[in-house]
Amino acid sequence: MNNALYEKEEKKVRETVTNFVLSSINIANLNHDDNLFESGIVNSLFAVQLVTFLEKTFAIEIGMDDLDIENFKSLNATTAFVMRKNGWQRAGAT
Amino acid sequence: MVISRFGTLTRRGQPGPQATDPMQYLLTEQQKARHGNFKAFVNQNFEPFAEEWDREQKIPESVISTLAKSGYLGCSLPLQYGGQGWDTVTFGLLNEALGRGSSSLTGVLTVQAMVSMSLLKWGSVEQKQKWLPLLAKGEIIGAFALTEAGAGSDLKSLVTEFTPSQGGAFVLNGAKKWITCAQFASLFLVFGNLGDCSLACLVPRETRGLEVEPIHDLMGFRAAGLAKLAFKNVEVPPANVVGKPGFALSHVAPVGLHYGRISTACSALGLCRGCFDESVDWAATRKIGNQPLGDIGMIRSLIAAMGTDLEAGSFLCHSACRAADANLPEAFEKALMAKYFTSKAAVKAASDAVQIRGAAGCHGSSPVSRFYRDAKIMEIIEGTTQIHEHLLGRMFVQQARRPVQ
Repeated sequence: MNNALYEKEEKKVRETVTNFVLSSINIANLNHDDNLFESGIVNSLFAVQLVTFLEKTFAIEIGMDDLDIENFKSLNATTAFVMRKNGWQRAGAT
Repeated sequence: MVISRFGTLTRRGQPGPQATDPMQYLLTEQQKARHGNFKAFVNQNFEPFAEEWDREQKIPESVISTLAKSGYLGCSLPLQYGGQGWDTVTFGLLNEALGRGSSSLTGVLTVQAMVSMSLLKWGSVEQKQKWLPLLAKGEIIGAFALTEAGAGSDLKSLVTEFTPSQGGAFVLNGAKKWITCAQFASLFLVFGNLGDCSLACLVPRETRGLEVEPIHDLMGFRAAGLAKLAFKNVEVPPANVVGKPGFALSHVAPVGLHYGRISTACSALGLCRGCFDESVDWAATRKIGNQPLGDIGMIRSLIAAMGTDLEAGSFLCHSACRAADANLPEAFEKALMAKYFTSKAAVKAASDAVQIRGAAGCHGSSPVSRFYRDAKIMEIIEGTTQIHEHLLGRMFVQQARRPVQ
């Protein structure tokens, strides 16, 4: 797969995810690798709201097998998860 | 015989004509038809007996069986699992109809949905195939075992504990309290701690080490079959874990609680409707001297507030259900708003309904006395009013703040 295409899609996904997350939390600065579930920056509904948002926005289905903190812990992790669920893969990746 | 503006005959036990419901222009013809069927079913099978169940603190098995045979207990489950495949709006309408008749009985639908929908979302393929058809048909009743004596609003204080055992299994020890329908449930969805993380698992009633102790003499919801549960070295096979360790409180419980909130919100709406129907009926027929009660300004004031709250609550419930059907992230907040509003409205409506009724409203011969007691419970279950204020207040303030740079 053409990496330029991958990166273009990844950027779109990351922006969409970031906008949603930022609308749900209230901190001054959030880096793309900051752990969303530490330090109580998200409320008790955030996790399921994120799942619902991802399913609705990216037309993916998230189930038991996807329950891994590595899939949701940061903006970058969530972006990578969505890309994988939608079958995107960098050229040359194994 | 008086017909309220909502079309229900206000003499107990008799179905009314087609309702002139505030929601009529928002419902599809199919939803309207089903709503009518639900109300007729409740009026015939449940409402005339609700007072007796409340007095006896028990819903007869035959009634649970009637509810199960109706297919209503699987209303939101997909057809592939034997459910009805109905939308959340229809689920809400069913809860409203049941809530008008008996809050205790609605508790069965509430917890059945909480367990079913949690499993539907996060269960394994094998768990769904094994348990969902049984839950859909009402062949088993589920119970949502989350609350403990020391952990109601504060779920971080759960002390029920899982410890790893051989072959990927767990041993469960602990206790739960105030578990709706636990007196007759066959399957428990139990939440606890596995070390530092949370775990949810299924525990069938017959499992060795599980003890059930009925709770009696509640103020309201007296026939909802609440019980304490004790788990003494209960063996949990790995196949009974729902979701994965670490995700029970963040992902599994919130799905169940979401449906619990929608159910309770709509059930409280049904209770509001019952209070309104009883109040307008009494106001229209009772006289003080030669003057109908309904001509007295102070009574009109109470009824005006009651009717308007009923209308407002209808829209909030409908909005929450539509958002759930559209799979919107804000569905969770809309359910919070609906439950917060209708449970508080139910308490006020019931209090005012008793006041309007006078001494008769304080006696079991009038349903408003039961509404009064049941309404208060609704401000506490599925998240207290104060927890709702905490969550909603934070949400609204957060939404007003500017996005992060």
